[in-house]
Amino acid sequence: MRRSVPVSIALILALLLVGAAPAPAQDKPRSGGELVFVVPSEPPSYDAHQEETFGVIHPMAPHYSTLLRVDPTDKTGTKPVGDIAESWTVSKDQLTYTFKIRKGVKFHDGSELTSRDVKASYEKILHPPAGVKSLRKEAYGSVASVDAPDPGTFVLKLKYPEASILLNLASPWNWIYKADILAKDPHWYEKNVMGTGPFKFVEHVRGSHWVGKKNPDYWDKGKPYLDGYRAIFISNSAAQVAAVRGERAMIQFRSFSPPERDSLVQALGAKVAVQESPWDCANLVAMHHDKKPFDDKRVRRALTLALDRYEGSKALSRITLVKDVAGIQVPGTPYATPPAELDKLAGYGHDIAKSRAEAKRLLKEAGVPDGFAFTFKNRGIPHPYEHLGIWLIDQWRQIGLNVKMEMIEASAYHPMLKRGDFDVAMDFQCGFIVEPDLDLPRFLSHSDANYGKHKDTVIDDLYSRQGRATDLEERKKILRQLEKRLLDEEVHVFYTLQWHRIIPHLAKVKGWTITPSHYLNNQLDTVWLSE
Amino acid sequence: MHRYLIKRFLLMLPTLFGVALVTFLLIRVIPGDVVELRYSGDRGSVSQDIIDRERARIGLDRPIWQQFMTWMLGIVRFDFGTSMWTGAPILEEIKLRFVLSLQLAIMATIVAVLLAIPLGVLSALKQDTWIDYAVRLFSIAGLAMPSFWLGIVLILLMLVVFKWLPPMVYTPFWTNPVQNLAQLIWPALAVGYRYSAVATRMTRSAMLEVLREDYIRTARAKGLMQKLILARHALKNAMLPVLTVVALEFAFLIGGLVVTEQVFNLNGIGLLFVQAVAHRDYTLLQALVMLVAGSFIVVNFLMDVAYAWLDPRIRYR
Amino acid sequence: MALNPPLDRALDVEVPRTRLGVREAVREFCVRRPLGAVGAAIIVLMLAVALLAPLIARYDPVVNDFAAMLAAPSGAHWLGTDAFGRDVLSRLIYGSRTALLVGFGSSVLGATLGAVLGVASAYFGGRVDLYLQRVMDVFLSFPLIILALALVAILGNSIPNLIMAIMIPMIPRSALVIRSSALAIREMPYVDAARAAGFNHRRIILRHMLPNVMAPYLIMLTAFLGQAILLESSLSFLGLGVQEPIPAWGLMLRGAAVEFAEAAPWMAIFPGLAISLSVFAFNLFGDSLRDALDPRLKTQ
Repeated sequence: MRRSVPVSIALILALLLVGAAPAPAQDKPRSGGELVFVVPSEPPSYDAHQEETFGVIHPMAPHYSTLLRVDPTDKTGTKPVGDIAESWTVSKDQLTYTFKIRKGVKFHDGSELTSRDVKASYEKILHPPAGVKSLRKEAYGSVASVDAPDPGTFVLKLKYPEASILLNLASPWNWIYKADILAKDPHWYEKNVMGTGPFKFVEHVRGSHWVGKKNPDYWDKGKPYLDGYRAIFISNSAAQVAAVRGERAMIQFRSFSPPERDSLVQALGAKVAVQESPWDCANLVAMHHDKKPFDDKRVRRALTLALDRYEGSKALSRITLVKDVAGIQVPGTPYATPPAELDKLAGYGHDIAKSRAEAKRLLKEAGVPDGFAFTFKNRGIPHPYEHLGIWLIDQWRQIGLNVKMEMIEASAYHPMLKRGDFDVAMDFQCGFIVEPDLDLPRFLSHSDANYGKHKDTVIDDLYSRQGRATDLEERKKILRQLEKRLLDEEVHVFYTLQWHRIIPHLAKVKGWTITPSHYLNNQLDTVWLSE
Repeated sequence: MHRYLIKRFLLMLPTLFGVALVTFLLIRVIPGDVVELRYSGDRGSVSQDIIDRERARIGLDRPIWQQFMTWMLGIVRFDFGTSMWTGAPILEEIKLRFVLSLQLAIMATIVAVLLAIPLGVLSALKQDTWIDYAVRLFSIAGLAMPSFWLGIVLILLMLVVFKWLPPMVYTPFWTNPVQNLAQLIWPALAVGYRYSAVATRMTRSAMLEVLREDYIRTARAKGLMQKLILARHALKNAMLPVLTVVALEFAFLIGGLVVTEQVFNLNGIGLLFVQAVAHRDYTLLQALVMLVAGSFIVVNFLMDVAYAWLDPRIRYR
Repeated sequence: MALNPPLDRALDVEVPRTRLGVREAVREFCVRRPLGAVGAAIIVLMLAVALLAPLIARYDPVVNDFAAMLAAPSGAHWLGTDAFGRDVLSRLIYGSRTALLVGFGSSVLGATLGAVLGVASAYFGGRVDLYLQRVMDVFLSFPLIILALALVAILGNSIPNLIMAIMIPMIPRSALVIRSSALAIREMPYVDAARAAGFNHRRIILRHMLPNVMAPYLIMLTAFLGQAILLESSLSFLGLGVQEPIPAWGLMLRGAAVEFAEAAPWMAIFPGLAISLSVFAFNLFGDSLRDALDPRLKTQ
């Protein structure tokens, strides 16, 4: 949707703005300095191909490069750009992708990177050797083969066209390893670091810190700006805030809660800058379709109608990590639900009294008595699970349901979901890149992550159609249909609120742009310190 | 005396074994699984095949008795295994954190004893006077405040009033004593103050009992100096229950300061404990419990030695 | 068993039963031991609040009221509201029920069971002592957190299970301290004489040993009462105790209270004060009670 603004007016406005604003003295990146940041959890092993936690990404991503990466200057985190891939071409049938690999990219031991290393790394991801896991294997089901015909070229062939393959390849987990090392020992990378990234590994003291220093031979001349970085592991969030507040640490790359942000702003004033973004994470409510009365879609619809999402958004965004009212995709990204469409879905209306009256009517019709009691199982994590749980229980109380919450410790939670040992439970959908092909497979009938065990061939069909649609508008249309079926017609699951990411950091940290995912933009090559 | 001590030494072994067995079984009863946890993360789902193979690799699919035997044999050879969560050797994981927790425990106990004994004696001598009341109020206040509350208030105070924060990263004492103490003195004070409360009251009550004993009255009647009576007879006999309490608490400071370590952000054993439990890291958890239990049992033994020295009547049972 | 009446009576060194009436005893206690009286008064107040909770609380402690969230103390909400708009005072009032239930339940059970085991261990000595000691040692070796976590994880989060989880670590502690006191008494001449005179075990334990370990028992009990309340709050703080939205003091100190410590301090101050005050009261009272009951410590 492009609005046409007369070019002349735009020029005049631009000139006015430039003339009016004082020229910022810190616009040109300055070299030097050590970035100190805190990380809430520590990497269990060093091999990103086998790990899932941000505890690996935050301290270690600066040591590695990937073939493609998400544009670090793009706030939506949805644009793939080349990292060690200089450029690429796509064949007419959309089945062959040919990447030109940059020259002069060196591993930290001095050896030169070639397409052979890219091929070996992707082979490890797609076809891991015995005894080695690959957590992302399933995401590349469309890949037929990978090849390195010459040292400067890497070729990827697909079985069928896939709109999201480039974003998939930009995954922050697909570190490029050295082929020679992988050939000798595929487990080497679990305990060692050898990459081509902007920073070299210095030391890791368990439970304490991780240190990296500038790679003088980095392919992007002039970068990185920093001399090095130090990641300090602090698990207690109050201690993290105290560290930033005491200016011992400069930033934390996951998120702080609203009151923590407020206390930092109040204490540090102009010394702190705050970046916020919708987060690529949302909490949903899963209802087990084999358990009465949740097998009745009227009951499920009543549960979503009871929620005053807009009031909840206003209130809860002050105390925890949620904010936007959203559908199946993060607001602000290409496939997000336009407000006009959102209003039409069950539970997203603005007249809460009407919605709740309808909910009560549906419950009665379905034979659920007033004061009906059930247990809502929730994951034992304070932000924002506990807050959302308290809110949900109170909302359901207002349509005459007597709900008890049971917080289950995080390590036991996922097995409980898999076993189906619940009536109604808190589910979560998190991704590292906002892309329907990565976010939606969980709603398929046969998916392992379909904890509510709903079986809906219409959704399965719509999903595969959107995956193969190559026209943007066509894909949007199909996604809207899928969303309507999922959240409104059948109410197989429903979303509560979208998570919200808040990064208050010392103002002297520049060159870092927030994205919806806390797994992105952690290579630190664009970051510089203004003092 | 030697026979008594040897006997007590030998008695440590069945206790240690009992602890090992109970720990081993207890943690396996808790629902949850390290492999599930590691590979489910935020996204939620990983194929069952990967999970099964990981379990086999770590050794979780073997029968329970076999896992227990492997562990026991390993201990005999001083091989404590590797952590199920990180794969790093257990000794490495524990080393640094144990040193910190030990130092904190020692410092806190010193603070506690320095507070408790003089205050307890003073309170007993001046029973029911305002000095007694003041001491009792002071020590009970320390006992009453939740440790995390105290810690949070302390840190807030330091930040808001003094605008100073203790060092975030641990430096060993011999590397940089000033920085080391600057970090640990605050939690040591907070913890020491709390633990002094029980010891103060024990000292006071034990002193009161002993001061009324017949032999004390006899000594007083004979005209011996007050101070001599105190030092020689009263204190020595009052120390028995006090020693019990102090020793017990010391052994617990090593693994028990979970909340304090969280609040002051100390990389110690308590924090490692909580992480190990959250991760269901059986091997690490077993090693930690044996470590804490071992410390406790050794301290107990030392206490027995002290008992025997202080009260000859016990020696000859 | 009157084997030897004169010896029998001479050996009866039990606590002399006070002939004072209840009212006089209370008055005497208040006058002689003002600290204890203060402690007792606070405890009585707590019990009253817990019993009368539905009558004195103005608001329902679990209902959210976002219009009034994070409100400072005012006429409408005397102690302010929390992050969900729930009245802090009402939650404190209902929270006293959880505190007292868990506190009393676990500490009384723990201290008593421990005392029985400790006295038996000291009295019988020999093999009984040896085995009991070992078993106690095994359980004592576990840090509180792991034992509590394991028990909560196995049994679940309900209040009876919480009571058990807190009570079990207390038993060996109580046993150990009581045993050390009982040991000293066992060596006393009158116990040996009683044994020589042929009195049976039960009589000696009940009439001679137990009354003389009353002092450490009472100290243990009041210390435990306080510790149980603190433990419950620590467990809730770590997320292992009582669950939202049930009001409990430790739970109120978790999460939002810490984050809003500067912006909305009433959320953390009042529950912290409530915990401190109740533990304080129990300890004060226990101290003075012990002083009052022990005949050998009656000041001249």
